[in-house]
Amino acid sequence: MDSFLLLLASTVSTGLLLGAVFALVAAGVTIVYGCIWLPNASNGQFFLLSALVAWGLTSSYGLNSFTACLLVLIASVGLSLLFEKLLFRRLYNVPDRNISYFVITLGLTQIMSGIFSMTFAKWSDQFSLPPLVSGVTMIGPFPMTNNRILVLGIAYLSIALLFILLRYHPLGRALRAVFQNREAALLRGVDVHSIYKISFVLGSSIIYLGGLLYALAYSFDLTIAWTMSITAFAIMIVGGPGSVLGALVIGLVFGFTQAIVSNFTSPTVATFSYLIAMLLILLVKPNGLFLK
Amino acid sequence: MKIKPLHALLTLALLVLPFLFKDNRFLGFILGITYLNIFWATGMNILYGFVGLMPLMFAAISGIAAYALLYFIAEWHINFWFALPVATLFASFIGVLLGLPSLRLKGFYFTLCSLIIQSTLTLAFIFFPKFTNGDTGINQISPPLWFGEPIKGYAFECMLALMAVVGIGVSYFVYQSNLGQRFVAIREDDVLAESLGINVVINRVVAFFIVSLYAALGGCFYATYIGFISPRSFDVLSSLNIWLFVAFGGKATIAGPVIGSILLAPLPFLLQSLEAYKDILSGVLIVLITLLMPGGIYGTYLAWRNANK
Repeated sequence: MDSFLLLLASTVSTGLLLGAVFALVAAGVTIVYGCIWLPNASNGQFFLLSALVAWGLTSSYGLNSFTACLLVLIASVGLSLLFEKLLFRRLYNVPDRNISYFVITLGLTQIMSGIFSMTFAKWSDQFSLPPLVSGVTMIGPFPMTNNRILVLGIAYLSIALLFILLRYHPLGRALRAVFQNREAALLRGVDVHSIYKISFVLGSSIIYLGGLLYALAYSFDLTIAWTMSITAFAIMIVGGPGSVLGALVIGLVFGFTQAIVSNFTSPTVATFSYLIAMLLILLVKPNGLFLK
Repeated sequence: MKIKPLHALLTLALLVLPFLFKDNRFLGFILGITYLNIFWATGMNILYGFVGLMPLMFAAISGIAAYALLYFIAEWHINFWFALPVATLFASFIGVLLGLPSLRLKGFYFTLCSLIIQSTLTLAFIFFPKFTNGDTGINQISPPLWFGEPIKGYAFECMLALMAVVGIGVSYFVYQSNLGQRFVAIREDDVLAESLGINVVINRVVAFFIVSLYAALGGCFYATYIGFISPRSFDVLSSLNIWLFVAFGGKATIAGPVIGSILLAPLPFLLQSLEAYKDILSGVLIVLITLLMPGGIYGTYLAWRNANK
């Protein structure tokens, strides 16, 4: 009985954490898709990029995890601006741009995974970041590392902040206006192109943040990139493309699914089930569960 | 339907080339691979160029056909030439069956759906080792026999050349026929096409079936020509690569996929020192083509020629 409770507790904590990471990444993808119509197939590579760079900073330069993650987040804004300027801005006025964007980001995926396997894969095959804080806290009878509790806290705080930003801040309202109707938003004086830019930077930063949080809690290898891409797309499609609430709820559901499934069998089964769920939703209700 | 002398000459060149590389096995092999890719790219162009749907599950259908072929040969102890049509039709029907629900979708959603099917099938190839030998793959696949003699070397390349030329011919025939006109009408505006009495779904199914035939037949010959297959030979990168040949050469033209395959397919073999950069290079090409030259080389040339008339 005791071992069952312990299993339950570990499943719940893993589910909460994975769910938060999935929710964040999927929210990032869905914000960018809802706004710019840019289905970012390389989100998994972005996710991995931030984790790998943070690993490089901690292991080569001896920085602590907190500084490394902060530096990565700051650099990621610059990188997103660069991507936006070089690649994505050129197609803002093309009507059927989502398919072109999809192809471009698939190309980006290939470029980035090629670079990773030439560089990071040669240095190590399993990566992990040093914990933010040390020590273990007992929650009732269950031990949990302080590091994981802190990561969990940051993850849910970020989700809450994102929600508040989108709901109450003028910028978030402008973003949602563009989601709903870009012509009307334009008529009401919203500068649509700069909203596109901001939403790309915001969405990408959330994906990078997700990568950092995952790396802080778990060790990882290069294969998570493609799995994350598929998972984030599955969450976006099931939740409804452009629906942040859908991404958050379905992200949590998928995180718990993965935590439960990995107790019995390989996580690939979970990936398999995401693919099937996404296929069914695409065929039955292409607008997703949370989009009106 | 008229055939220009230039086209006849180029077709003849495609057929004669294997004899020129008869003794140089390295270049001969590259030639064989190029023919296979010409065939595949021509097939994908029918769906991507004419109907306007981007099938990323292309390689998975090739994979089903290749694995089915080897399974039929080993289990039923039948000749390659009997197993070939069975495996091809089997894979094409599976392809249509899987693609059937997604044919209601278009544009990005169709492509995403096909990407999901491709990823699922790649996982399935790895997780059903009974048929596929898992990640290790199947090696030492014996070449097909022709009156008791194994077809190897330049004879196989001649066969592939013939297949490529027939593939181009079929694609040309489809393009010129009423069917091709309906495909283009659907690509341009499917609602308008529907209101003109064209059954959009049926026509898409037909196109999908033709494309699956190309993918499957190519897969069967790929397995027996290379002699080794693994799930990696039929993953999403392979689909994307064939798409790149079509897009680079010029979609919705007959010559485009041929030009794209001839220019790009031999590259990884000729630049072996750059093997590690292969993925990066094709990624860069995908990004550049989509951003800067959506019509591809031949499409851009046609536009330039029309502008200077």
